[in-house]
Amino acid sequence: MSSGKAAPRLAGSGAPGSAAHAGRGGFVSAEAALRALYVLTFGTVLVLVLLPVSALLYGSFRTTAPGQAGGEWTLRNYANLTSDGVIGTIGTTLWIGLAASAFCIIVGTALALVVHRTDFRWPQTMTVLIGLAFYFPSFIVAMAWIIIGAPGGIINAVLRDGLGIEWIEFDIYNAWGIIYVTVLHQVPFVYLTVRGPIIHMDATYEEAARAAGATPAQVMRRVTLPLLGYSLASSFILVFVLSIEQFAVPALIGIPGQVTVLATQLYLLVRFTPVDYGLAAAIGLTLSAITGAAIWVQRRITRAGRMTTVTGKAGRVAPIPLGRWRWAANLFCFGFITLALLLPMAILLYTSVLRWFTANPLAGIYTWRNYVFMWESSSTWSSFWNTLLVSGIGAALGVALGVMCAYFTLRVKPAGHRLLDFAVVLPFGVPGIVIGLGLLWAYAFLPLPLYGTLAVIVIAFVTRFLPYATETVGGQIVQIDRSLEEAAWVAGANRLSAARRIMLPLIAPSVQGAYFLLFMAFFREISAAILLYAADTKVISVSIWSFFEQANWGQASALSVAATLVIFLVLLVVGWLVPAGRRF
Amino acid sequence: MVAIAVRDLARHYGAVHAIDGVSFDIADGEFVSLLGPSGCGKTTTLRCIAGLEEPTGGSIAVDGRVMSAPAQGILVPTHERRIGMVFQSYAVWPHMTVAENVAFPLKVRGAAAAEVTRQVEGALQTVGMGHLAARHPSQLSGGQQQRVALARAIVGSPRVLLFDEPLSNLDAKLREGMRGEIRRLQRRLGIAAVYVTHDREEALSMSDRVIVMAAGRIAQVGSPKDLYRRPRSRFVADFVGKVGLIALQRGDGGWRTADGTAIRAEAEAVAGEAALGAVRPENIRLVAGSGSAPEGVNCLPGRVAEAQYLGPFTEYVVETAGGSLRAYAQLDLEPGAAVTLAIAPDDIVLLPAE
Repeated sequence: MSSGKAAPRLAGSGAPGSAAHAGRGGFVSAEAALRALYVLTFGTVLVLVLLPVSALLYGSFRTTAPGQAGGEWTLRNYANLTSDGVIGTIGTTLWIGLAASAFCIIVGTALALVVHRTDFRWPQTMTVLIGLAFYFPSFIVAMAWIIIGAPGGIINAVLRDGLGIEWIEFDIYNAWGIIYVTVLHQVPFVYLTVRGPIIHMDATYEEAARAAGATPAQVMRRVTLPLLGYSLASSFILVFVLSIEQFAVPALIGIPGQVTVLATQLYLLVRFTPVDYGLAAAIGLTLSAITGAAIWVQRRITRAGRMTTVTGKAGRVAPIPLGRWRWAANLFCFGFITLALLLPMAILLYTSVLRWFTANPLAGIYTWRNYVFMWESSSTWSSFWNTLLVSGIGAALGVALGVMCAYFTLRVKPAGHRLLDFAVVLPFGVPGIVIGLGLLWAYAFLPLPLYGTLAVIVIAFVTRFLPYATETVGGQIVQIDRSLEEAAWVAGANRLSAARRIMLPLIAPSVQGAYFLLFMAFFREISAAILLYAADTKVISVSIWSFFEQANWGQASALSVAATLVIFLVLLVVGWLVPAGRRF
Repeated sequence: MVAIAVRDLARHYGAVHAIDGVSFDIADGEFVSLLGPSGCGKTTTLRCIAGLEEPTGGSIAVDGRVMSAPAQGILVPTHERRIGMVFQSYAVWPHMTVAENVAFPLKVRGAAAAEVTRQVEGALQTVGMGHLAARHPSQLSGGQQQRVALARAIVGSPRVLLFDEPLSNLDAKLREGMRGEIRRLQRRLGIAAVYVTHDREEALSMSDRVIVMAAGRIAQVGSPKDLYRRPRSRFVADFVGKVGLIALQRGDGGWRTADGTAIRAEAEAVAGEAALGAVRPENIRLVAGSGSAPEGVNCLPGRVAEAQYLGPFTEYVVETAGGSLRAYAQLDLEPGAAVTLAIAPDDIVLLPAE
């Protein structure tokens, strides 16, 4: 009956009524303020998103580097995409992405099923540990595993010096190394996306299967997993996108091993001779086309899945008894946490206190000098300070923009809201390094002195993670009954004041959540910053990266330990500040 | 005096006409229900009065002030209409206490603090929620939240009260209690009220007048007794209560059923050769076997097709030559039993055959 949604009058919806009420009760001013806010939001998003994309598009048809005089229009860059080298890179990118995603889905789903569907004894502990692993930066995991698995690393030292085995040489610098570390890093993501559907699955489906005579294993195979199909497919695609757009892992492991994916090729083309900005732009667009298509498919799947997804009240399902397989389940869960979190942390701690790297802890000369150096180095302090500025203030800006986008596109729906909605989700499909390259092109032409400032890094990060903010906040906005706001209008509040006094307090939890999410993402982000930083605008992730590139493992490790401490500290503070059970 | 005047109200969504030319007046202090099946336009009409929905045609005036008139480009925004409204979902704000919820309409309109406190206390006393003022909505039952919504609607003396199926989320027992309470409260305040519902018992028991709507138009307006006893269409007869319909043809000297039985009805005449005689089940006297009726009472032979024992009485479906009729009786009869139905002429309402 109430199918008709009240469409508040706003910009462009042709509101003849407004003029008739000028001067009555501040209606026009609130209306005008809301409209101004909308125009501001719309404009900001368009500039943020469309600027790098169109600059990239422009760059891909030019022969010269950004900002350089001369140059002409060309299709050469696109022709070069079909060269053997680039085709090979596309192939490598795709197969590494697919293989990593497949392993991620298997391991992540298995983890979630073991933790939440069996009588596993430590579900809470496991959830917390996987949460920590989720926030553990990928480049730190990669560095730790390079220290373990590189030709001069720990495994080979143990093999050679400890066991006297010379004929095996372990080498992580290859495609399987990339896949291995990617899986370690992204399994927590899969776990977190499928655990909701697994926990909230309607128990009666499974009970009906049990009643029909199926064994627990048959129920799992023929009812539970098929019901999870949409969630698994959606999660698979998202992990695939994350795997092919990531930069740090394939750069740290792939570049020394000469395994090139699109993201690293783009970086090499911009940062090392022979420099070719045009081809880099074309590669960036190619990568974006792949990720964009994948995101599109994923959205279609989630939309289709919403009809059949198992929601409703979560019933308690009888947990599947592990029985004599308990040891295997324990080994699997804690084994994963060891490889993804505990071992890398231990290795970094160890490396950070060594004077010279050695795999034998008994032969090591221990020192605090890495930490002392870090403490005394002004550049390290400035990169910490930069990171806090970028994460703290940048995330606030991103969330503010995200809240407005979500409110306008989901509630007010003024003219043009569809375009806004599209522009907001677009960065989902644009890899960080591509946004970085786009901004590099864009700000070389704009008369704004932004290049080499922290502001440009904030712009890149906000653009890249804006969809995370709008999705988080929007998810809560759609759950808030429309009549709560309508009741405020009836009570005499204008739209602006109703939004502030009713909507904002009600979505506060998701706003906090979005801020935290963005803060963490900004803190760890490396791909969008790697092309944009200057000497005095380094952020922590880039500093660690530089030290590691200079083979300064000790310094890189010490800094990683400090960064990880900050991350875990923030997690602790957030867990302590945000009460678990709110009043409403 | 007219509190709400609705003229030719229309709300079109493209080709869909949610409301299509609805007109009615509501007097000061009058309680009027909008009754109809889902999709009939009753909620849309209410939301247009509240300003939550934008009409595409016609006009709405409250206390003589035009609130919306698309033709003249007039649309007073909701927050300036000074209305009280109770929503189906209650819409009690979960982040405010009971007292804060009720104080909101006063505060946004800039009332003084002392005045706010006084009025909030008054409103909460009125709905019997004074002792729970400091509670949060999540600590209240559905019925209590309903009372908070009611207090919030009446605080600050609104010009009209609007109710959007406010009782549909309550259980049956609570609902009956709230009906009486809402009506008493409205009578005491003397504010015109519009009450949307699809529950005929609610509409009949509470209203001064009922507006029955169907497919975006008004089907019939009248007092509850009027609507129930003198419906003017098969739809209204059916919607406001259980009804049996006798198919009638014009015969020599009056109306007859298919087998020629003469039927006398004392309602206004219906044009045409065919008509329907509508009878409420409680107005049929059911006798076992083939009985005869006193002079002037219609007598229809039939056979029991279904019997549903309901406790106080049994509801029978009886097949007659004029069609199947429902009748209540305390007799115990098996399906297949021959019966006679006696119906007084003024209990048969003639309706146009569709």
